[in-house]
Amino acid sequence: MTSAFWAIARFDFVQRLKMVSTWLYLVLYAVLAGLWIAAAGGAVRGVGVSFGGEKILINGTLALGIAIGIVGFIGITVIGSVTGRAVQQDFDVGIHPFFFSAPISKRDYFFGRLVGAWATLVMIFAGVAIGIVIGSHWPGVDSARIAASPSVQSFVRPYLFVLIPNVLWLGGCFFVLAALTRQMAPVYIAGVIALVGYLFAVNLLSDMENKTLAALIDPSGSTAVDVFTRYWSVAQKNEQEIPLAGVILWNRLLWAAIGTIVTFLGYRAFRMESVAPTLRRRAKKKVVEDVEGEAVGTASAHATPLPHAVPDRSAAAYARMLPGLARLYLGEILKSPRFLTIVLGGVLLVIGNAATLGSFYGTNTYPLTYKVLDVVAGLFNVFVLIVTAIYTGELVWRERDARMDDIADSMPAPTWLAFLAKFATVIVLQVVLLAVVMVCSIAVQLLHGFTKIEIGQYLMQLFVLQLSGDILLAVLALTVHTLVDNKYVGHFFVGIVFLVLVQLPLFGFEDRLYLYGSAPGLIYSDLNGWGHFLPAFFWFRLYWLAFAAVLMVGSYALWVRGREARVAARLRNAAARMRAPAWAIAGTAAVVFVATGAWIFHNTHVVNGFVGREDARRLQADYEKRYKQFAGAAQPRVTAVDVSVDLQPERLLARISGTLTIANKSDVPIRDVYVLYPRRARAQKIAFGVPATLADEASEMRWHHYVLAQPLAPGAVTDFRFDLEYGAQGFANDGADPVVLGNGTFLNPGLTPETSLIPSFGYGADGELSSDRDRKEFDLPPKPRMPDLNDKQQVMQNALTRDADFIDYRAHFCTSADQLPVTSGYVVKDVTENGRRCIDYRMDSKMTHVFSFVSARYAVRKDVWHGPQGDVAIEIDYHRGHEYNLGRMVAGVQDALAYYTKHWGPYQHKIVRIVEFPRFSRGGGFAESFPNTVPFNEAIGFTAKVDDRDPDDIDYPYFVTAHEVAHQWWAHQEVPANVQGDEFITESLSEYAALMVLKTKYGDAKMHRFLKYELDRYLLGRGTESKQEQPLVRADGAAYVHYQKGALTLYALQDAIGEAAIDDAISSFLRKWKFAGPPYARSVDLLAEFRRVTPQPLQPLIDDLFETITLYDVRAVSAAAKEQADGSDAIELVVSARKVRADGSGKETEVPFDGEVDVGALDAHGSVVALEKRRVKSGENRITLAVAKGGAVRAGIDPLGKLIDRDDKDNTVAVTR
Amino acid sequence: MRLEIRDLAKTYPNGVRALDRVSLTIPTGMFGLLGPNGAGKSTLMRTLATLQEADAGSAKLIGVDGGGDIDVLRDKDAVRRVLGYLPQDFGVYPRVTAEDLLDHFARLKGVVDAKARRETVRALLQRVNLFAVRKQKLGGFSGGMRQRFGIAQALLCDPRLVIVDEPTAGLDPEERVRFHNLLADIALDVVVILSTHIVSDVADLCNHLAVIDAGRVLVAGEPDALVADLRGRIWRKTIDKSDVEAIKSRVRLISTRLQAGHTVVRAYGDGAPPEPGFEPVDPELEDVYFSSIAGYVGEAVDVPAVAA
Repeated sequence: MTSAFWAIARFDFVQRLKMVSTWLYLVLYAVLAGLWIAAAGGAVRGVGVSFGGEKILINGTLALGIAIGIVGFIGITVIGSVTGRAVQQDFDVGIHPFFFSAPISKRDYFFGRLVGAWATLVMIFAGVAIGIVIGSHWPGVDSARIAASPSVQSFVRPYLFVLIPNVLWLGGCFFVLAALTRQMAPVYIAGVIALVGYLFAVNLLSDMENKTLAALIDPSGSTAVDVFTRYWSVAQKNEQEIPLAGVILWNRLLWAAIGTIVTFLGYRAFRMESVAPTLRRRAKKKVVEDVEGEAVGTASAHATPLPHAVPDRSAAAYARMLPGLARLYLGEILKSPRFLTIVLGGVLLVIGNAATLGSFYGTNTYPLTYKVLDVVAGLFNVFVLIVTAIYTGELVWRERDARMDDIADSMPAPTWLAFLAKFATVIVLQVVLLAVVMVCSIAVQLLHGFTKIEIGQYLMQLFVLQLSGDILLAVLALTVHTLVDNKYVGHFFVGIVFLVLVQLPLFGFEDRLYLYGSAPGLIYSDLNGWGHFLPAFFWFRLYWLAFAAVLMVGSYALWVRGREARVAARLRNAAARMRAPAWAIAGTAAVVFVATGAWIFHNTHVVNGFVGREDARRLQADYEKRYKQFAGAAQPRVTAVDVSVDLQPERLLARISGTLTIANKSDVPIRDVYVLYPRRARAQKIAFGVPATLADEASEMRWHHYVLAQPLAPGAVTDFRFDLEYGAQGFANDGADPVVLGNGTFLNPGLTPETSLIPSFGYGADGELSSDRDRKEFDLPPKPRMPDLNDKQQVMQNALTRDADFIDYRAHFCTSADQLPVTSGYVVKDVTENGRRCIDYRMDSKMTHVFSFVSARYAVRKDVWHGPQGDVAIEIDYHRGHEYNLGRMVAGVQDALAYYTKHWGPYQHKIVRIVEFPRFSRGGGFAESFPNTVPFNEAIGFTAKVDDRDPDDIDYPYFVTAHEVAHQWWAHQEVPANVQGDEFITESLSEYAALMVLKTKYGDAKMHRFLKYELDRYLLGRGTESKQEQPLVRADGAAYVHYQKGALTLYALQDAIGEAAIDDAISSFLRKWKFAGPPYARSVDLLAEFRRVTPQPLQPLIDDLFETITLYDVRAVSAAAKEQADGSDAIELVVSARKVRADGSGKETEVPFDGEVDVGALDAHGSVVALEKRRVKSGENRITLAVAKGGAVRAGIDPLGKLIDRDDKDNTVAVTR
Repeated sequence: MRLEIRDLAKTYPNGVRALDRVSLTIPTGMFGLLGPNGAGKSTLMRTLATLQEADAGSAKLIGVDGGGDIDVLRDKDAVRRVLGYLPQDFGVYPRVTAEDLLDHFARLKGVVDAKARRETVRALLQRVNLFAVRKQKLGGFSGGMRQRFGIAQALLCDPRLVIVDEPTAGLDPEERVRFHNLLADIALDVVVILSTHIVSDVADLCNHLAVIDAGRVLVAGEPDALVADLRGRIWRKTIDKSDVEAIKSRVRLISTRLQAGHTVVRAYGDGAPPEPGFEPVDPELEDVYFSSIAGYVGEAVDVPAVAA
């Protein structure tokens, strides 16, 4: 390149260095990156930033890779701005003729500008690294999460592989766009498209099949990094350098190629001419021919006098002008390509996501209105924010940008006219966007063939709930743009303000009384609608709208009219501008603001104490510090429950009272009884059968210490009577109490201490802080998730309840006459009178001390299962309208009961009840098993859309039903001890049970499909482990272990020893431990049964599957088919096998492989044509397999993917002949 | 009716004194404000047009429509009702037609009745000779056409105070004449202030003028009177180009011009030629301008009271 090139590049770079904006960008990136890292490290209670679990070092290789990639990409507008302006500003200011008429070549000019811009960007993005380094050492960051000396490579590689290539190719594309069109608008449009592509890819990633596609189409490259490292263990994610290989390499090559091609094509098309040629084909600026008119001094024109128009300058007249003026502003925006692109981007994003609506095991749900709104509105909200921010600024500056402000400002029109018209325009824009959301959502529903369109819900959610919040943001943007006297700085500050508003709660500022525009969340449920959560929401909206009105009046007063923008002048003008009406509005708004504020404060601080997240954690820590000393004390145990629930849904009130029969099952007398019940309970009565006094009480920690006048002797029995009231009393900062609902109340699910509404006895470890990071903050030592497998004390406790073994149960449940009250047990009496319906339930045998109460306006579907020892009634209580999968659930119950009864043992009750409850109730999306009752979340199962014709769809309502029914055996017949490995018994066996039921009905292919999902989720879960991964025998609560790995391993065992043997083991285990009281069964007891039925040579398999974390790596190297004399093919397989053991954090060591593994062949459709078990050892193995002639297309080792292998695509290879 | 400006002062934050105790009395008719670039003309115009604040002084419009007075600086709303303003450097919405935008301004000025508005817009477009292109988008208008549009919006609704800031800069000779014709039609009982650095504009149009530089009024009065004052004091000589620098130090040079290839200089001399070789000439308005800028004549002189 000649010196002109260097001169241009250097000049541009130096000029950029002198500009404040360059340094502002650098600081911005440093701040963004720093915040990102600090949040991940725990300095900020950030939820959004997770690199996958607490053990991932925030400056480990993967974390750095992701941070640098994503933060760099967020700056896409900066890249556009810098490279676009580098060339476009020549045309903007009109200096290009100088350059084009100078003796410099096109190459020098084009690449000189481009390189100068690139250099600037590289420098700006160095800010990211600076921010990361600072952020890693920010006070508050958990030092356990920082690598002491991160390698330079872990910084350099992401820059070299991800960030710089992005800058180069994106910058090149933007540069070309700006150079050819000589406008900035196309650059911004392209930026939006690139951002959409990125978000699109991120969403495609959630669907397993499209991982590779997602990795390729994400222009930023970070999805490729994510996919590549998906199954890396924690150790790898922290230390292993990210290579330029695999998907990452392809992605970089693809986008680099695109960038290079675009840049060179652009270079070729670029002309150093004053007028851009063909590219501006659209509206060629029409030059208007001037009119031939009088030249000198003729007087004809001034003969006619001008008509005299009487002006009406009253406020009313100008007020009538408001709609017309708004329409004028609106028209220009709605037709502009920039706006249309933003809308288009949003629509594309929505349609793209709609395809995988609410996927669960690869199966979709019905596109119910609330579901679609969740997805669509959530995605589109970003665009609404962007539009609000950008166009408020554009409107405020419209006259000044067109240089018409002098004329417009000297007009006699009042200031409020333009002010209100502009504000109204922004609101109309928001309405337009929300209307687009509605149209898109309805389109999505119709595309899925779903015709139940709930317009009312759309209107309410979008145009009342959402719009009210968007209006608040518009006011904020308007205020910022009024105060800041520069459009671009104004944009910047609006962005900052929005960002800060979102971030503040994460820093511990949670009180909605000072978070502008905030309101408690609302979740719509088909059962309960918006429910009683609306009033709190509206109070907060009113509060902030009143404040916004004051802001509006202030902005109006300080509005810039004329040339004077300085503070003193503005204040003077403000004083003149504020007349009676303005003061009246401001005054009224202020009064409303204060009044509602007082009412809200009364509710959120007085009636319901304000407990921020930090306060809640402190309470948990204090609870442990003060009361853990009593953990080992002997406490009474519940032996019988006689409970009465009086539910008044219309008053949102529940009264739970009753008598617990308690016994002293220890060998020491009990004098101190610790009674625990939730904070929110209003105790009306607590009394023992014997005299007792309240010695100590800390209600906010649920702790009530009673002292019995006469100690309860060992073996003695007495009563405990309680009467507790629950229900909405006003609202808290996070909204109204969700315990009692108008429809679909679900009481006492017991998942957390606050949802166990019946009093319990003794110190409960579930009230402690569980996260090690949280514990450290309060000087508590880290604690394991579960007591150790060999804990002598905990083996005497069962995993379900700490204060009871098995109980007798009786309940009297009353609700309003139009609802059905459901709890465990059988209906003994059912009376409806005086507008109340009361049902008496009784359980005719002993059951575990867990039960729930559900009440709603149900429709009921009854069915029956005819078992060998009698019939079992099946009842599904569901919300009218959710009939989609009832058949599947009934089938699930029937087939499950059939299988379990046949293979393991009889069902202990005479009815199975499935009850639907609203989707936001404590716990989110789940189903749980209580004795003979299975509450089922409305969003799982009831609204699933299973396509039986699609081989990839799993019938998960059926599956989940079978799983929950299995829990009636594993958790309610056989209750494990409260030690590690308990969920191996309850969850793994249930998951395996459901798998078998699925296989029986749908066949092997579906089952293998399902296992593939389980494998993927197990491997994924390993990378997000926050403590230590445990082998199954010591499973301590990690879902990916006890669900996913459990199903995989139990199936693998069955495959090895046969179904009969495994049934033998399981039923033997059940017989020995059914209804067995303390000591309780442990995982080792189950394993002992497995060992008993496993032949000697296969015993090591038990070690591999259940006692260790073992991973396999089997690979087919080659498969050559040779024709045999008898017409069959003999396939000579060369396979390699490897086995590693991993420790809790993922460090692996190789162990010798010696076992039996499937080898086989598949045909063209992927079906098995040959499958045998062969002995395989570590390293290379040669195996010969006989198949029918020509039948095998692919062959290899473990073709069905039964082994836990991180890459099962390499298990087979094409057969060569 | 007249506009009384007393001791108007404004200093910008960067220290520049844009207006330094400007006092003027402006009667109805065309008033020319002459001055070089940066003299403070536009600042004065914008202050009168309610777009800028003055630091000190007053400006009052006396005897508006036979009625009261308007305090121009304080009572902005009142001024805007009688104001027509054509700024020096303005843009238009490129995608809007001339008719639509003028209609919009008419509405902003308070013409509520659609029919009346239509009539007045048509009449004005005809007056400024843009009627034939009224349905064309303003983005395609030439400079002269845009200026004519500008004066049309300024004339909406019978303004009593018309402020026209540098209207003919950048117009070709034909466009300039047309513009002058438009302005000449207004002036009967309206105060029209025309600010410009083109002396001939003022010579052609204005019956009163003031020369302003560095924020101060240097001379003010009727053109004829000011020119008459200079009789016998303006001298001319043809010299060599190379002598210009030398002669500058010897005489009070007021202008240097090229005529048919020769360098002709004019100088100021009280009563007698500044030096040998100079011949007397009849003064022109331009000489008034250059002399006062150079500081050889003038202190602020009030225009004698004229019947309103």
